[in-house]
Amino acid sequence: MNAHPPADTRRQGIALVTGASRGLGETLGGFLAQEGFHLIATARGAQALDAATRTWRAQGGSVEALAGDVTDPVHVAALRARVASRGRLDLLVNNASELGPSPLVELSQLSLPELRRVFEVNVVAPLALVQQLLPWLERAGGQVVNVSSDAAVGAYPGWGGYGASKSALDLVSRTLAEELRGRGISVVAVDPGDMRTAMHQAVSPDQDISDRPLPSVTLPFWAWLLHRDPADVSGQRFRAQSDRWEVPP
Amino acid sequence: MIPPLASPPGFPMGREADRTPEERGLARDEVRLLVSTPSTDTDHRFGELTRLLRAGDLLVVNESATLPASLPARGEPGAFWVNLSTEYGRDLWLAEPRWGPARPGPLPIRPGMTLEVAGLPARWVAQYPGISRLGFLRVPPDFSVAIEHYGRPIRYGYVARDYPLETYQTIFGRVPGSAEMPSAGRPFTPRLRAALERAGVRFAPILLHTGVSSLELDPDRPADVPVYPEPFVVPSTTCEAIAEARAGGGRVIAVGTTVVRALESATDDGRLRAARGFTCRYLSPARPVSTVDGLLTGFHTASSTHLALLASVFGVRRLERAYAAAAERGYLWHEFGDSHLLLPQEGLGRQPSPWIR
Repeated sequence: MNAHPPADTRRQGIALVTGASRGLGETLGGFLAQEGFHLIATARGAQALDAATRTWRAQGGSVEALAGDVTDPVHVAALRARVASRGRLDLLVNNASELGPSPLVELSQLSLPELRRVFEVNVVAPLALVQQLLPWLERAGGQVVNVSSDAAVGAYPGWGGYGASKSALDLVSRTLAEELRGRGISVVAVDPGDMRTAMHQAVSPDQDISDRPLPSVTLPFWAWLLHRDPADVSGQRFRAQSDRWEVPP
Repeated sequence: MIPPLASPPGFPMGREADRTPEERGLARDEVRLLVSTPSTDTDHRFGELTRLLRAGDLLVVNESATLPASLPARGEPGAFWVNLSTEYGRDLWLAEPRWGPARPGPLPIRPGMTLEVAGLPARWVAQYPGISRLGFLRVPPDFSVAIEHYGRPIRYGYVARDYPLETYQTIFGRVPGSAEMPSAGRPFTPRLRAALERAGVRFAPILLHTGVSSLELDPDRPADVPVYPEPFVVPSTTCEAIAEARAGGGRVIAVGTTVVRALESATDDGRLRAARGFTCRYLSPARPVSTVDGLLTGFHTASSTHLALLASVFGVRRLERAYAAAAERGYLWHEFGDSHLLLPQEGLGRQPSPWIR
């Protein structure tokens, strides 16, 4: 009846977080840097990424930042080179997400190029990163965290494109978990829940979302997840703001 | 995050136990026991459980043992204490820096700051969202040895002096991990347990490591302090024991609010199953308890989330009457105080009576 996992072996591990300049990615990046990970941070907005990096470093974090678009193969290759130079990857957080049009548009009206872009960012890019970084994930016995959404499991008008992409990402996560279990790589999907972020604001730009919690509300969950035995949680989908986080009994 | 039940103003509160029953000249199982049924509040001694419980009843107990969780610390703010709350992994703790037993924080500590805790370097990683006095502390691998060596049990201002760790252990404690004693089990002695077993009463374990309760003692706390998660395990053998007890007409009685929380956290749509993880499931009259027929507990502070849980078992008005009776009859509050057995369905069969909610 031990409620605790084996000793954490990821001290001084390497973590790569996408979409790290704002919102959840920024909060999680800072937490990982404080936890002792060497953080490789990426996001499209170079300025915001610079600002976040300066903050993390001021708090003593070991951080390198590389701005770019995760759907750009050249950028993915550059990230791959950064990881290769570190020799291992303990944690890959696929957090960068594309919402689609702001405000949201119903499926019957949704522009197909926009839908393709949503799938490129939310499904194809996370898989591309896993494919490209596999040798280093395997060497570290690493973990992949794919950031999902409540929209992946509910039929919410306006959320169809984004929700379908996150639903696809959920299945990619579960399948990868099965396929990579034998190679010692753990894969989970995490729905962070409703939060006060730029992306949630973009859903309906005129709505007041100041009553939503900041992304830091998810920190206890990340603290919990990152200190489980990765094999114990692989293949699961978690809700960070749930009142219960479970591993198999 | 779930808003706790607003503390009912003027909820009855009796005298605080500022020392152990042993120091008051009593054996552990000689503390007083108030037995509350829908219509009565009767006075007993804890040892009378052998008469109050019946063959076939099941007592579900918490196997968590108390840690010496209060550690000396130093850093930029000077000398202070770090009370460990919850182990997230062997090298990450949720912790509460305090100036002293009666002097809570928050202390001026920022993320990235290195502190010396129990003689070892530790890093303050992040503040806990919404609870400014709690935060995550990254510790070195040999920290558990330092806890054993430097730690002492957490104590708050209402307890007069320090006691050794044994004072804070129950006979059920098997797995160290609680910041504070799961105190409902404290009055049980090996002799009483044996007598109950001879009488046909069975025992089954769960595990729930309690975090610090200090938040609940803060008169200035904001109204919407979140309940924070705690590690729990409900084994399949306990689920089976509960089903068997029910099938045989026995009562399932939780020894402590921690047991209710663990069982309710292992429940989906009213069905109990084996479970392991962290829970911050909040129980209140809005989310009634379905897993137990009774609760053996202590007397709790009026502002605490425990009270909301008790009200969910017993109904807030009935609980208030029982607390008024206990206060008037001189029952003692807190972990070294007297005990309370709540039997919400006694004499009324299995169906909850209308007054419960």
